[in-house]
Amino acid sequence: MSPRGFDEKVLPHLDAAFNYARWLTRNDGEAEDVVQDACVRAMRFFPSLRDDDARAWLLAIVRNAWYSRLSRRTSAAADIVPLNSAVDVRADESLDPEALMLQQHAVRDVRDALAQLPVDFREVIVLREIEGCSYKEIAAVVKVPIGTVMSRLARARERLLAALKRSALRMEEAP
Amino acid sequence: MTCEDVDRHLDPYVDRECDQEAAMAIREHLSGCAACRQRVADRQALGRLVRTAPYYPAPDSVRARVSTAVRRSLSTRRMLTWAAAATLLLAVSGGLLIVRSTGSVRLSSADAIVDEVVADHVRSLMADHLFDIRSADQHTVKPWFLGKLDFSPPVTDLASIGFPLAGGRLEYLAGRPVAALVYQRQKHTINVFVWPAVETTSSNALRTVHGFHVEHWTRDGMSLWAVSDLNVAELNEFARALQR
Repeated sequence: MSPRGFDEKVLPHLDAAFNYARWLTRNDGEAEDVVQDACVRAMRFFPSLRDDDARAWLLAIVRNAWYSRLSRRTSAAADIVPLNSAVDVRADESLDPEALMLQQHAVRDVRDALAQLPVDFREVIVLREIEGCSYKEIAAVVKVPIGTVMSRLARARERLLAALKRSALRMEEAP
Repeated sequence: MTCEDVDRHLDPYVDRECDQEAAMAIREHLSGCAACRQRVADRQALGRLVRTAPYYPAPDSVRARVSTAVRRSLSTRRMLTWAAAATLLLAVSGGLLIVRSTGSVRLSSADAIVDEVVADHVRSLMADHLFDIRSADQHTVKPWFLGKLDFSPPVTDLASIGFPLAGGRLEYLAGRPVAALVYQRQKHTINVFVWPAVETTSSNALRTVHGFHVEHWTRDGMSLWAVSDLNVAELNEFARALQR
């Protein structure tokens, strides 16, 4: 038996935990390991969970579990691009998102484009658009102020749009 | 408000995370600025595009691994706890031991809830008070409940399979404020009532009261009740889609 309430409060967010871990790791097996680590930690910390938001609480633990695995592996450290060194690419104005949407391959490319964003950008988009988190929840998961969530999301979206346009243009040039 | 101000608030605005005042100022600016309107529309289109990216639900293998890992880790912990308790008991032997009953979670009477759910469904149609928020966009309906409820109801549009989301409202049911989500199936209305589950077991059940069908299930710690005059097969299809 788990601590009282753990099964009801935490395990219902296992899908959210896995989805987030899967986008962080970009790998099924590794996502499973991260989620398992995270759940064992979550059980240990369970008494510290106040009643407000078990999902954000669990996602924050998933994130920590992932980072601590990552720090044990030097090879993957290259995945973390320091935000300040990342040059922002302003999206080119020639294609609007609606036009991109109408191009079938763009829809297929969304997954790849998102997976290739630096992790700090990738995670805010995943939490917002795919997991449906509020800014407050994202702030709690990523442990930054809401203002930072806001600006990071803006930069992440610009970069994603630029990447999607690049892949759409590549497709156009292809014979 | 200038175009630069709008640019700065673009993301919170499309994400509906602006405060009322800022949102109003932006709307006012948008009504007279086609360029900013286009920027907002582009951001919204990008959102729709991004939401075509896959959601990866936990596979069964993860559920199994997690429950094994959690239990194993707990049994170690419990042994330590028992050891500590035994030591403590020895230390205070002769003292008073108070055993507190753990108090099991009481199942609210499901039948009473079914009656309430049906009555509320009927009232919502008769009183013509189906909506507090009228929108087919799950990202509009879900945040609307923020600050109105102490939980965040799952909101999924099912237009792709013929059950478009139409909106939501606040209700008071089973002794607490709950979320009511409204879906349409042709001329039929489906109300889905959502609140945090108190049941210890999840039970999927179908009941019929006065010709209305009620489907009940629990998911992600939420208790969900779908009620409609729709036929059983279609209501079941709807409920299954929501459970995915």
